[in-house]
Amino acid sequence: MFATKQSKFESMVRAYSTELYRYAYWLCRDRHTAEDVVQETFARAWKACDELRDDKAARSWLYTILRNEHARLFRRKPLDIDHDQALDEIVDDSARDPAQELEFRDAMNALPPSYREPLLLQWIGGYSCKEIAEIMGLTEGAVMTRLTRGRIALGRLDGTAARRRKGRSA
Amino acid sequence: MTCFEFRRLLLAQPRELTALQQEHAAGCTSCAKAAEAAVGLDMQRAQSLLVPPPEALADRILLRQKMGPRTHYGMWAIAATLVVGVALGIQHYRSYDTAHENVNTATAVGMNHPAVAAISFVLDHEPQLLKENRSGDPNVMRAAFQRLGLKLPGDGVSMRYLGKCPVPGGTGDHVVLQTPYGHVTLILVPDYPVGSRVMVADRNMTALASPVEKGGYIVIAQSRQVIREIERMLGS
Repeated sequence: MFATKQSKFESMVRAYSTELYRYAYWLCRDRHTAEDVVQETFARAWKACDELRDDKAARSWLYTILRNEHARLFRRKPLDIDHDQALDEIVDDSARDPAQELEFRDAMNALPPSYREPLLLQWIGGYSCKEIAEIMGLTEGAVMTRLTRGRIALGRLDGTAARRRKGRSA
Repeated sequence: MTCFEFRRLLLAQPRELTALQQEHAAGCTSCAKAAEAAVGLDMQRAQSLLVPPPEALADRILLRQKMGPRTHYGMWAIAATLVVGVALGIQHYRSYDTAHENVNTATAVGMNHPAVAAISFVLDHEPQLLKENRSGDPNVMRAAFQRLGLKLPGDGVSMRYLGKCPVPGGTGDHVVLQTPYGHVTLILVPDYPVGSRVMVADRNMTALASPVEKGGYIVIAQSRQVIREIERMLGS
C-alpha cells in the first residue's frame, strides 16, 4: 500500500512539479516564494493522497491545492516581489527578443489577478474553459469573459509598451 | 455565426475553435486570418511563460516528503538542534577515532537522519543528475569548503558534478567526486548544524555526517575505509 502511494506521489512530482512551479511563479512573481508554494502544495498533496480517487484528476487537483496554498500565503504576508530579478534568470533561453519578453512580463504583472489566473491556467496548464471553471470554482461563461477581457487588456498593455519602445528609438 | 461572435469566442479560446467557428472561418477569409494570427500570438505568449524551474526541484520535493513535514515549531527545533548538536559535536569531535567508529543501521538512527536521507538522495536521484551533466559554479564550492575549514581534494580527484541539494532547513552543496577509491559524494552544509558525528550503513552505502566549526558535511561512499581516506584528504 505504501509503495503504491509512494510511487504514485513520485510520478506526480516528476510529471507536474515544473509546470506547477511555472504557474506559481507567475502567480507570485518570485522564484523563492514560487518554490515554497510548490513544496507546500506537494506536502499537502502527500497528506491527502489517499483522498484522490481518480488518478486522471491528479493534475487539476494539484492546481487547486496550489491556488489555495498561494491564497493562504498571500493572506498571511504581503509578497515581497523582486522587480529587479534579472530577465535571464527567469525566462528560458531562446532566440526571442529580450526587450519584448520584459515588456510581456510587465504586462502580465500589470494584469489584475482575476484576468491573469485563467490565462495562466490556459497557457501553462493547457486547460479548456470548462476545466478552468472547475479549478477556479466559476461558471464557464465567467471564465470565457475573464479570458476575453484578459487578452484585450494584455493587448493594450503590450501596445502601450510597443509605443513606448518606438518613442525611445525615435 | 457572425464575425463579432467568432472573434469574441476567439479571444477566449484561440487554439480550440468550435465546430461553428470552423464553419464560419471556412467561409470568411478575414476571420480565418484573424484566427491564424491569434493562434500564433497565443503560442508565443504561452512560450514566454516557460520560466526555467530551479535545479533538482522534483528531487527536493521528494526528499522533503521522505524527511517529513516542517513543523510550526521549526525554528525552536532548529535552535534546540543547534545547541545540542554543537555540544555533542565538540565532544565527539575531540574523542573521535575513525577506526573504532560505530556504524549504525538506518533503523537505529531513524529514516529521517540526514545521513540516511543523503544515502537515499545519492541512490535515488544522483544517477539522473549525473546524466543531465550540469555543473554549478566551482567558486561556490570552493567558498563552501573554505567556510567549513576543509581542504579541497587534491591530486587524483576530479569533480563529476556540482549542484545544490536539499538538506533539513535549507540547501547544501552537492559535490560528486571521482577519486582513486571510486565515486564519492560530498554534501556540504555550511551554517547548518549536522548534529553529532554519525556513521550509517544502508542499502550497500555508507554515509558519515560530521559537524565542523561552522556547519557540517556528509560523505557518502561505498565503504567506511573510503570515507576515512576522503576525510584524510579533506584534512578534517
